[in-house]
Amino acid sequence: MNQNLFASFNIPAILGIPLVILIIMLPATFITPTNNLINNRFSSLQQWLIQLMLKQMMITHSTKGRTWSLMLMALITFIALNNLLGLTPYAFTPTTQLSMNLGMAIPLWAATVLMGLRFKTKLALAHFLPQGTPVPLIPMLIIIETISLFIQPVALAVRLTANITAGHLLMHLLGDTTLTLMSIYLSSSTITIIIIILLITLELGVALIQAYVFTLLVSLYLHDNS
Amino acid sequence: MAGPEADEQFQFTGIKKYFNSYILTGRKNCVLATYGGIALIILYFKLRSKKTPAVKAT
Repeated sequence: MNQNLFASFNIPAILGIPLVILIIMLPATFITPTNNLINNRFSSLQQWLIQLMLKQMMITHSTKGRTWSLMLMALITFIALNNLLGLTPYAFTPTTQLSMNLGMAIPLWAATVLMGLRFKTKLALAHFLPQGTPVPLIPMLIIIETISLFIQPVALAVRLTANITAGHLLMHLLGDTTLTLMSIYLSSSTITIIIIILLITLELGVALIQAYVFTLLVSLYLHDNS
Repeated sequence: MAGPEADEQFQFTGIKKYFNSYILTGRKNCVLATYGGIALIILYFKLRSKKTPAVKAT
């Protein structure tokens, strides 16, 4: 049993050397690039999944926005695989680290904003004032919209971090509860085991959904600015 | 959301032609005016604090 509940969120290290780079690179080994026109089942399944996500996400974008297709598909695959990696027992989840999520969110958000200001300056500036705003509310609403713009990358990163961390914490807590209850009251521990199984199923869904939400929001910011 | 193609339906005169919350140009000008106003207020308080002499101890 962990004395410290947050011990599983510490970055693993061997002889003082952090292993986080290797851990982050590990999901990339699951995606196998191929030069064949007709591939094996695994590669075909991967391609089908990526095409499904690509069509669903990029259909509303203009030609300029679709140049981001590779970036967004890599992003969703990376986050989804990292989230799923953390669901294996005793594994470290890179996406529980706020630093990593901020490192993904801030550059992507900034790129969409700068792209909007560079290529569609009038539209990008006009976004700060919703259409039909009454005159007395205009300055206040512009300030509020500016603040909400700068909060976007922070919200992106914190949303992913908090969702994944909360799920892992719950699993740890319930696991510790089950172990304690097994020696005291066996029938209660069966209830907690059932709850853990349901929670793991939920966490599988959350892992994939959070990857989708992160990428979808970046795609929405891009759509507003392209 | 209405874009440039819907701007023709609005006909404004006077200052409302340039500052309104309906057409793209009007919205853009309102945003720039707000940012300019905030910058002027900050500049005013910065310059005022430089001009005000330090209070001498009595």
